[in-house]
This record gives sequence, structure tokens and C-alpha cells, in this order.
Amino acid sequence: MEGLPSDETLLIGVAERDIGAFHALYERHAGWLALRLGRRCNDRDLVADAVQDTFVAVWQKPRGFRGDGNVAAWLWGIAIRRLVSRLRLRTDIAAVFDSAGPTPAAEDQVLLSVEYGDIGGALARLSPEMRAVIQAVVLDGLTAKEAAQLLHVPVSNVKTRLYRAKAQLRAALAEGLS
Amino acid sequence: MTASISLRGVGRTFGATRALADIELDLEPGVIGLLGPNGAGKTTLLRLLATALPPSKGAVRVLGRDPDVPAERTDIRRRLGYLPQEVGFPRGFTAFAFVDYIALLKEWTEPTARHAEVRRVLDQVGLSDAAAKRIRAMSGGQRRRVALAQALLGSPPVLILDEPTTGVDPEQRVTLRTVLAEIARTSIVVLSTHQTEDVAALCERVVVLDQGRIRYDGQVTELVRQAADRVWLADQPDPAATVSWRTGTGRYRNVAAQARAGVEHVEPSLEDAYLLLRGQLPNPRAEEVAS
Amino acid sequence: MTAWHVDDETLRRYVERTDSVAEGASVEQHLLTCAQCRTRVNSAATAFGLAAVWERTRDAVEIPLPSPFERLLRAVGLPAHEARLVAVASAFRGVWLVGVTAVLAFAALAAMIGHVRGLWLFLALAPLMPCLVVAFSYDRRWDPALAPEMVTPYPALRLVLLRTIAVLALALPALLLFGLVVPDAAPFAWLLPAVGFVAVVLAASTWVSPLNAATVVSAGWFAAVWVVGARSATPAAMLQTRTQVAFLVLASASFGIFLVRGRHLRQLRPWR
Repeated sequence: MEGLPSDETLLIGVAERDIGAFHALYERHAGWLALRLGRRCNDRDLVADAVQDTFVAVWQKPRGFRGDGNVAAWLWGIAIRRLVSRLRLRTDIAAVFDSAGPTPAAEDQVLLSVEYGDIGGALARLSPEMRAVIQAVVLDGLTAKEAAQLLHVPVSNVKTRLYRAKAQLRAALAEGLS
Repeated sequence: MTASISLRGVGRTFGATRALADIELDLEPGVIGLLGPNGAGKTTLLRLLATALPPSKGAVRVLGRDPDVPAERTDIRRRLGYLPQEVGFPRGFTAFAFVDYIALLKEWTEPTARHAEVRRVLDQVGLSDAAAKRIRAMSGGQRRRVALAQALLGSPPVLILDEPTTGVDPEQRVTLRTVLAEIARTSIVVLSTHQTEDVAALCERVVVLDQGRIRYDGQVTELVRQAADRVWLADQPDPAATVSWRTGTGRYRNVAAQARAGVEHVEPSLEDAYLLLRGQLPNPRAEEVAS
Repeated sequence: MTAWHVDDETLRRYVERTDSVAEGASVEQHLLTCAQCRTRVNSAATAFGLAAVWERTRDAVEIPLPSPFERLLRAVGLPAHEARLVAVASAFRGVWLVGVTAVLAFAALAAMIGHVRGLWLFLALAPLMPCLVVAFSYDRRWDPALAPEMVTPYPALRLVLLRTIAVLALALPALLLFGLVVPDAAPFAWLLPAVGFVAVVLAASTWVSPLNAATVVSAGWFAAVWVVGARSATPAAMLQTRTQVAFLVLASASFGIFLVRGRHLRQLRPWR
């Protein structure tokens, strides 16, 4: 990775209207953004549109990145919000948060519980609705209002679920540690 | 449609000034260099070839058509690309927007094809990454390349370029030479320049203009041969030389009309030959008295 | 310190979505900070057609968007490429229109306030606005002379006509509107003089710079208004039927000259 321009340098290029820098930024980030968005929304065309919106937004305001944090996190913030915008217009598609996967293997489970007080298990034991809210607000950095738009539920609902989920997690952690 | 340009007895005056006189020219596909000092009439000649200006007398035929007949003039313009000496750009335009606008004037009505063509010519001049940049924010050399790009739209059979490499840095100049050489395989490219290296690198044929008249029209190699044995290096400028100047190494390069023996001869360059030719031309006063 | 990276197996589960919630969250948090793992994951994102998305993104940032005026022209039936051609003239940059509207509004306001002077001011300024806008749309300082434009195949006459019609289409209703709020004068009275002046400037533009022509026309009109104002009390004297007919004749004759000479227009700006 040495010798390649940093993401910040590419952003400066974008601010100077260099399509080459813009393309390089796209090549670096469009893939993982699409994958991550695809885990929240099953509709691939919608995800593709959200990716397009994201990069057009980056072109329009490259200086929106204030230099705090890293560029990837900033891009994700834009991307998830673009997905929320797109989803708002399409009531037929809902966000999908559930991963279909099995629980981790036994040894991993033990490791996780030893190191993290079994957060993994605690998360897995949450109901899907509560898990979705935790993912949206805690992991994806959305506000309660944005999470409500993403999940097509009222804001009060989001807040209640968040409160309950946090309480449940806290209890599970306390239990695990003791 | 013949792939040629011909001028017969062409002259052009502006009020009392005679910009061009007795121009006889036949141009075929290839790159033709136009050399001459400021005021020699290069720009006027190019404007004439580009159908921007009618001659005061004489006949012009471009691709077998007469620019004085409106329908034929439009035909010519459909097959012609012109880079003028100075190009103004509208405020706030990006390179893409400007070339797109000219493409519209060149009757590229269908947007997808037009946009693809705009990208193609911007790529030819090495500006594909700068397509979305404002022209006002560009360097002089980049602006010149944008102006060149619009001339390349549609790969025209006739390309008239007035000082295309002004302000362009050496690397880009090499790129442009490659592009022009490629185009010249099937098109007539007439370019005027002050840089004899461009002519030497690019043109087989050169036309030297001075005070509105053609002083030389022929192969570059022939012109250079005229200076054979007439260029030498010395430690001092030679008073018998037509022109002499100090080179980077500290020695003096001398060019003279008479071949000299017993001096340190060097291979003549096109610049030497050009200076020699200019040095031998009658000066304006003498010519007025004669005519 | 050796950097920690996601192992291949976990990454595969992430891409195939067979991972657990905690794993997924952990991978995603890691991807935010690790460029190397992002590169590994990027190649798996084949289902989204990202190459085509790039093309659309590039189009969105490179291709200039139509201005509001351009969209208006398209809405009234002009084909897209002609709408763009006509709109690309400085006269249609918003700033210009705003300025002209402001001047006219000011003049109308002055007339409304009831002072006879205000009315004379409106009479002097209003009919000149359209021809000034047309003139500016060709002046070098405001719309830099694009010499390559001069030798393009697009018929110069058609372009000048279209641009002028576009100017008139905007300016005449505006004039009419302002004329309605001005007391003591028929609202239509301003229209013919305005059209007349535009026709004169167009005809003159086949010889001289339109801005020079517009300046002369403006000076002439101011002089005429001054002379009549010195003699009669109300501006109505300037706008009688006789004057209207005279303007109609002037407009027709000028336009005729423009069309005839325009056929031989070698280029968009023949006075250069």
C-alpha cells in the first residue's frame, strides 16, 4: 500500500475536479459499500442506485469530510443515508438485517464469551426487531429518526426497542461476567 | 469529393494593408507546416482556409468546393476543424461543456453519440481526467488543448490549426504530435507555429510566409539541405554570417548565405535553414519600391 | 506490531452472508479502518454491476445539466439540442435577466408612484430592454467570441433568430406585465417600439457590432423622448397610432433587411 495516494489526497483531487482521482476513490470503496448496503437491503438495483447517489454526493461536497475520523467511515455515513432516502420512496421494500447464518462454532463461542462477555450470544438472543435497531443505531450510526425511516416503523417504536435492547444486553453482560 | 485544398492567385487586403498576395497553393493529406514571422499573414491565410474569411481576389477550393457558395460552404464546414489563434471561453464552462457546445454547432444532435465523441477528443488531447474542470481554472496549455479538442470533433478531413502548441509543455507537445501524425494519414493538417522543432518533428512539407507572400513551399528536407555547409560553430560571432547567436555551450552558431570552408561545420537544423531564408529575403522598403 | 486482518474463512462467510451477527458487525467495523481488507472484499461485489454504476456516476458529474431556461425551451417544443444552443448565451445567465427585470421593475415603480417623470422614465427605458439583451448576447465581453463557432456548419441565421425569439419571448410578456401596472398608458403601447428596436439591432448586426447598434438606437430614443417631453405633458403623445404604425413599418423593414442579408451571413458575428 506504500506509494499509493491516501483517500484524503484523492478527496483533494475530487475537490479540484479530477475525474481520475474520483475514479480511483470509486474503485477503492464502491465494492465494500455495495456489499455492506446489500446486507441491509435485498434489492440489488436499489443498492446500486444508492452507491451512485453516494459518489455523486461526494463529488458535490468533497470538503464535507472534515478530516476527523477516516474517509471510509465518512463514506459509509453518506451511503447508508442515501439508502434510507431511496428506501423511503419505495414502501414495497424493507430493510433486511437478519443474517441467515448459524451461531458460531463452539470454540469461537467460548472465546467470544471469555473476551467479550458473550456479546455475540447476547446479540443473537435479541429478537430480530431489537437486533435491527441496535445495528442501525449503534453500528451504522443512524439517528433514531433515520432508523425509523429505514425500518418503516414509528420513531417512538425505535426508541422503545433501543431502550429494551440495551437493557437486555446490559443484563446479559452482567450475567456473563459474574 | 477531392481530398485537397487549392488556392489560385489569392490575395486579401484589409483596408490599405495587404495581408496576402499572389498565393498559389495545393495541399494534399499530410501535415503542412506554416512558418513565418508575426505579421507575415499566417493567421489570415489560415482563416481563409477555414472559410472564416473570403479572399479579396483569387479562387479558393476546399475539398473541391467553393466557400463563396453558401451551400458548399456548409459542406466544407461539416468536414473541417479549426483552431483559431485566440479562443474565448464562456464563463463557468467546464472542458466537457465547451466541447459539447461546439459539437452541437457541428450538428451532433444525438446526445449519447455526442457525449461519446466529446470524451473521445478530450482523451485524444490528454484531458479526459480534466473534463469536469472549469476552463477558467486551467493552465494556458490545458486551455489550448481544450481548444484543440473541439477542432478534432468528427475526425475532420481538413484540420486548420493556428499555433496549436503555444503554452503546451514539452511532454504534452509530444503527445499532440503523435495525435496529429495519426490524423494526417488521411486528413489535411495545416498548422502554423513559431516552433521550428514542431515543424521538423511533424511536417514533411513546409510553407514559409513573409509579408503576405510564399517564400518557400516544399519538402522540409529540401529546405534544410539549402543550409548544408552553411552552418558552423565558432568561439566568436562571425561578422560575415547572416545570423549568429550564442548557444548554451558558450560557443557561437553561425549561419551564412555563402558556403564556407575551413570552419567547424555542423548539421543544419530547420531553424538554421529558416533563418537563412529569412535573412536572404528582400526587406519591405526594397519591395515597395520595386512594385 | 503485526496488523490484524480478517481471515479468508470469515471473509467468505461475510460475503455469502452465512456469518453470525457478531461476526458481521466485527468485520464491518474492521473494514472501516483497513484498506487492505477492503480491497479483498471489493472483488466479491460482482452482483451489483458497479462498472455500469461508474458510467452513470461519471455521466452525472461530467455532463452539464440543463439550465431552467433550457428546460423551459424544451417544454415549449424546441428539440433538446436546439434548446441547449439557444440557452448558451450570456443573456440567459440568470444574473442578466435579474438585472434587466430589476431595472424595469424600478422604472415601473417610479411610474406607479404617479410622477409624470416616472412615466417618462419608463417610456425611455422599457422599449430598449429587449434590444439591449439581444445585443449583449453577442458582445465579446459578455459572451466571448468563440472563433471556432464561426466556422461551424450550423446555420448562423437560424441561431441568431432562435436566440432573438427566445429573448423576446421572455422580455415581451415582462414588458406587458409592467405596462399593466403603469397608469395612463395602454399596456400594449410599449410592445411595438420594443420589437422595432430589436429588428433594427438585428439588421444592423449584419454590418456592425450589435452592441454599438444598440447604443446608437438607445441614444436616438432618449433624444426623441427628450424632445417630445419638452413639448408635451404626457407620454401618451409618443404612443399614438401614428407612432405605432411607424414602428411597425420600421420593424418589418429592418427584419426584411436582416433576413435578406442574413442568408449571406458567413458567420455568426460578421462584423469581426
